[in-house]
Amino acid sequence: MEIYLSLILFLPLIGAALTFFIKPREIARVVALVFSVIPLFITALLFTRFDSDLGFLQFQFEESITWISSLGINYSLGVDSVSMPLILLNAILCPLTIIYSWGEHKDANQYFALLMILQAGVFGVFMSLDFFLFYIFWELTLIPLYFLISIWGGPNKDYAAIKFFIYTHVASLVMLLGIFALYFSTNVNTFYIPDLLRAFAGVDDVMKAAIFLSIFFGFMVKMPTVPFHTWLPDAHVEAPTAGSVLLAGVLLKMGGYGLFRVLLPMIQDMGTYQGQIITIMAFFGLLSILYGTFAALAQTDLKKMVAYSSVSHMGFVMLGAAAFNVMSVSGAMFQQFSHGLITAVLFMSVGVIQHNVHTRIIAELGGVVKKMPKLTFIMMGGFMASLGLPAMCGFVAEFLVLTGTYLTMHLFAILAFLGIVATAGYHLWALQRAMFGSFNEKLGDIKDTVSYEWIPMGILVLLIIYFGVNPAPVLDIFEAASSVIPGVELI
Amino acid sequence: MSFTCESLIPFTPEIILVIAALSVMIIGLFMETSSKKLLGYFSVVALLSSAAIIIVKGVYEVELTGLLAGSLCIDPMSQFFKLTFLLVSLLVVIASIKEFEEHSNQDEYYTLVLLGTIGMMMVASAVDIVTMFIGFELASLSTYVLAGFNKNEPKNIEAAIKYFVIGAVSSTLLLFGLSYMYGLSGGLTNINDLANFFSMNTELLVSPMGIMALVMMTAGFGFKMALVPFHMWAPDVYQGSPSVISALLAAGSKKMAFVAAFRVLLVAIIAMKIEIGILFAILAVVTMTLGNVVAVGQKSIKRMLAYSSVAQAGYIAMVFVVVTPEALTGGILYVMSHAFMKAGAFITVGAVCYVLLKQNSKAQDVDHIDNFAGLGKRSPFLAFSILVFLFALAGIPPTAGFVSKFILFLAVLKAGYLYLVVIAILNSALSLYYYARVVKYMYVLPPASDEKMSVPTPYVIAIVLAMVGVLAIGIVPDPFVNWATSAAEVLFY
Repeated sequence: MEIYLSLILFLPLIGAALTFFIKPREIARVVALVFSVIPLFITALLFTRFDSDLGFLQFQFEESITWISSLGINYSLGVDSVSMPLILLNAILCPLTIIYSWGEHKDANQYFALLMILQAGVFGVFMSLDFFLFYIFWELTLIPLYFLISIWGGPNKDYAAIKFFIYTHVASLVMLLGIFALYFSTNVNTFYIPDLLRAFAGVDDVMKAAIFLSIFFGFMVKMPTVPFHTWLPDAHVEAPTAGSVLLAGVLLKMGGYGLFRVLLPMIQDMGTYQGQIITIMAFFGLLSILYGTFAALAQTDLKKMVAYSSVSHMGFVMLGAAAFNVMSVSGAMFQQFSHGLITAVLFMSVGVIQHNVHTRIIAELGGVVKKMPKLTFIMMGGFMASLGLPAMCGFVAEFLVLTGTYLTMHLFAILAFLGIVATAGYHLWALQRAMFGSFNEKLGDIKDTVSYEWIPMGILVLLIIYFGVNPAPVLDIFEAASSVIPGVELI
Repeated sequence: MSFTCESLIPFTPEIILVIAALSVMIIGLFMETSSKKLLGYFSVVALLSSAAIIIVKGVYEVELTGLLAGSLCIDPMSQFFKLTFLLVSLLVVIASIKEFEEHSNQDEYYTLVLLGTIGMMMVASAVDIVTMFIGFELASLSTYVLAGFNKNEPKNIEAAIKYFVIGAVSSTLLLFGLSYMYGLSGGLTNINDLANFFSMNTELLVSPMGIMALVMMTAGFGFKMALVPFHMWAPDVYQGSPSVISALLAAGSKKMAFVAAFRVLLVAIIAMKIEIGILFAILAVVTMTLGNVVAVGQKSIKRMLAYSSVAQAGYIAMVFVVVTPEALTGGILYVMSHAFMKAGAFITVGAVCYVLLKQNSKAQDVDHIDNFAGLGKRSPFLAFSILVFLFALAGIPPTAGFVSKFILFLAVLKAGYLYLVVIAILNSALSLYYYARVVKYMYVLPPASDEKMSVPTPYVIAIVLAMVGVLAIGIVPDPFVNWATSAAEVLFY
């Protein structure tokens, strides 16, 4: 049995334990970095050995150990073409986040330990093939983020942290109910996800819809989808930058990943309610795109604007999944990957502004480019990618989603296109007001970004451009995945 | 059946404890207060050897019935609960070594804890209602005294009096119910005989007298299990007693009521084959909801833990509604997990109170939540332990609380009680709020004082042991689940 996946999963946890007990921050951060870079190397190795012709639900590097035999619960890990690129994303983002946080002073050892637990939790979600294990990691991600927000957060951190914790925990519990229902109605006495999905067809139609909707609710809150997004802006505004980067960069992707891993294979077998379910998904996707965009347009706080832009970009994931053809679904999967990279740059640059200028309110900024040319340059890269500039990966993803959606759902695609226009609007408008124009003298003397901040951001922008020009390494895997999801239209 | 020494062999663990309890009592008379600590170590050894014998004899496949004139039995269920009681007492005694170090009556303290443990173990083994009641009383009388052990503190006295009066009343109710069962069956005291008798004469149980018996028994057990509306004593007693004794009460003596109720009430419900589930459903729902809602507003950590304990009893009470082997497995596993979580939580809070009182002997209400502010800075170990125990109580993986909730809720849903599971899940989400609040105080708020807190070693050992239990059930649940399954099968086959 191969143990690569367990290594990737447990190295950050071991690193977290070590980091936690190493008091001097100079050593703690090096340990943290080492233990998050090794998983990156292993992931890269797996990525090269990964057979991208094998599609959805054909797992590679599988591991399985019996855990609770009487209930059919196993410790099973594996990756397929839906999860492999997301694992890569997580493996890339975490070391970069740790480098970015190099200057953290307050209880640095605990800070880095929590970041690494978060990383391990997300790895676990993307690798688990057993619902029990999946749920454990799903919940495990809540705890470090709760502490990151409530200890290192902004002025209103108490409210934001507890709201985040309770809101997403309740949603997870609803999902757990759905998992229970799936377990019983399929009667296969296992929590192995592929087996449950195969047995799903035999359940009666009303039960199918109930199971689908309760699991869907759990994922919707995590993604988050309007109107269940209200925890997200609060959490982002109060969270420290590294927390925000991982929250938007990989934690939200867990919701989208669940959508592809669990819910899309069910749609083919939905029976009577198939039409309604697809419409509901598309509706919520569209609602998120439009609401997120227009809410972002109205924000005065730069970070809150970026948070709402996340809501709208995750809407594309939902819409693409609902359109249910190869182009849109692989576009939606690619959107997850690309949004992870892009949003990290956005949150990091806003973090630098917050750190050096001590305000994020757009109206209080102005002409910052004069003092922070390096930051503005990189930030431009992130903003352009986020608004969908061609030759950057955001464009590829959204283009595929919109084109694919147009093929099966004209109206939704056209309405979503309105969102794209406003998206360009709020990005450019915010840049213009905050970064360009005449310098706001009240800001005084501000320093530009330091090397440990701009290096990770620069790497991310380069990756964004690379995957924008040459999306094939990741996109091909996603296409292979989406073309074998049962029932997906092969367009 | 004649009484021979051989017939006592299966009860070696109990006999060790009896000898230990008596020796502690007698030797203690001749010892100086300063050296009485040794008696604590002696009790630890006795409890450990007792637990070791149970483990060595095997816990899965043992089955001995008709022991001592048919009044006791040894089966996976009794062994499961005995081990739970022994481990809880072990944790309590270890933690007490420091807490009562300077108390002149320590010897009596350890005697009473050991006697209480014997009572609980008797109840776990009893298949005869009279033996069961005697075990009940032995455990109760010991804990009445223990609850008021710090007799110079008015709060302790208040707790002890309340506990005694209510405990005595509930014992009477229980005895009243049991006596009606005895009368209805024409003089049977063995639980299995009673079950056989009533399953053949179901009409007797639904006669006014039978219903009276069931109601009285439910009320009697309900008081001990602290189900709403019989829970009023629990918060006062758990708050007022010394923390280690609260641990013994919540984790030990309350669980004794559960094993007794499983053996008597559950068997009665199975025998009746009629639908009284709705009554227990109401009881369970009201218990968990009230416990959680009231816990939200508590400022005293011990009182909050007491209400959370009420709520947890509500989850376990779902077993009486569902009455399937799977649900009972979940319930039994929950009992053991809860014993570790609650004992650990109370002992850790006790350690915090102990250190705070050491630093400032005039401090009042040391378990007030304000005193926990910044605990993460003052004592990372204590704060982290409380964090683990509270998250376990809230059912966050990978702890015992999550696994046992998972299995229990799964079984309840499997039996088709969707509404119960939904209510239980909403409750467990609500409970997260007040647990997370304590965590916030410990890690987020600035410390109440900059003085570091050093934790005495006995507390550290007890806390670490409890934590190992909580995490072991959470991470390697398989042996515990199998064991609970074989314990549950005892009642169904």
